[in-house]
Amino acid sequence: MVAVKIPTDLWEEDTEAVITTWLVGDGGSVSEGQLIAEIMVEKVQHEVRAPASGTIKISQPAEAVVAKGGEIGTIT
Amino acid sequence: MSTATATAVKPQQNERRVTIARAMAEAVAQEMRIDPRVFVMGEDIGQLGGVYGNTRGLIEEFGPERIRDTPISETAFMGAAVGAASDGMRPVVELMFVDFFGVCFDAIYNLMAKNIYFSGGNVKVPVVLMTSTGGGYSDGGQHSQCLYGTFAHLPGMKVVCPSNAYDAKGLMVSAIRDDSPVIYMYHKGLQGMGWLGTEPAATVHVPEETYMIPFGKAAIVREGTDVTIVGVGMGVHNGLKAADKLAAQGVSAEVVDLRTLVPLDRDTVFNSVKKTGRLIVVDEDYQSYGLTGEIIATIAERDVRVLKASPQRVAYPDIPIPFSRPMEQFALPNPDKIVDAFHAMKRA
Repeated sequence: MVAVKIPTDLWEEDTEAVITTWLVGDGGSVSEGQLIAEIMVEKVQHEVRAPASGTIKISQPAEAVVAKGGEIGTIT
Repeated sequence: MSTATATAVKPQQNERRVTIARAMAEAVAQEMRIDPRVFVMGEDIGQLGGVYGNTRGLIEEFGPERIRDTPISETAFMGAAVGAASDGMRPVVELMFVDFFGVCFDAIYNLMAKNIYFSGGNVKVPVVLMTSTGGGYSDGGQHSQCLYGTFAHLPGMKVVCPSNAYDAKGLMVSAIRDDSPVIYMYHKGLQGMGWLGTEPAATVHVPEETYMIPFGKAAIVREGTDVTIVGVGMGVHNGLKAADKLAAQGVSAEVVDLRTLVPLDRDTVFNSVKKTGRLIVVDEDYQSYGLTGEIIATIAERDVRVLKASPQRVAYPDIPIPFSRPMEQFALPNPDKIVDAFHAMKRA
């Protein structure tokens, strides 16, 4: 099982982000490197990509506020 | 052709869910790869990727020669787009907010819209003017309008308005390949940009390969028998939510997504109303002299006897859009207003 985490190197301050869109459905299959979610920090959008291939379980829905390094799902 | 609007949350095999913003950029990129005449210009469409995200990734692939950031002069770059199109190029030009049309409207409605006619068909004007519409996020009366009726009223321009990413891609491909000017109006609240509010149902599965959606073909996005709800863009999502609420009350609502205002698929609207006998038109543009009246007139002109009740409209009141959040939300169309309109129709 691999955790899907908010990358820590996308923006400088410790500002929290909002998940604007999940681009895959809960329980869908993903492949490593695939764009799976968009997050926004102060009107700038960033991408979250799948760290592994497998079936994704989403733990933080769209609109959720998340911190750098925070877990938003798992891939098994 | 399914638009899958209501099924966006259901996971499926090999799902490729895409926002409208990404679908637009993908369509433009695919056309640019096969047609060197296509280029993009507008404010902040280069490095920033557009304030609504709809040109992200383009400057990295195609460079600043074909992805051209312009100075803040709509007058200048709209004129440039008409000139380039008349001379054989196929510009995709962004008017950041449709509300800004005032300073460049002569180039739009006197030149872009009419030069094909004035030249006896000898000059083509294949411009795609993409522009953002809609409010709901407290941006004031000069950043929140839809103005669908303003553009659709004036002859010579095609006007399209996607409600989901699948349609957004296919309509953009069709727009770029069209030899006439096309006004491509996308609602900010459907772009998948968090700060503008997000309608999740607009983000749907989109095939990677290119495809076209023909102009003048409405989509029945939900079938029903008791009332027809007609809209475009955000109005479709309000209509679908109202249909859910009505279903809980035992009412079967059909929802029609016009997809293009010019040309307008009057046949699909008429046939739906003929089946249901009742019509509600939803529009975030101002009520008077606009889309809602045009749809109702279509039924009245063709055969008023198909109506079991007087049609209703749920549109923006004829006032400048308030900045204050409670006041703006009060004035906007919403699902409850559509449900109320149905009951008002039944009482009459």
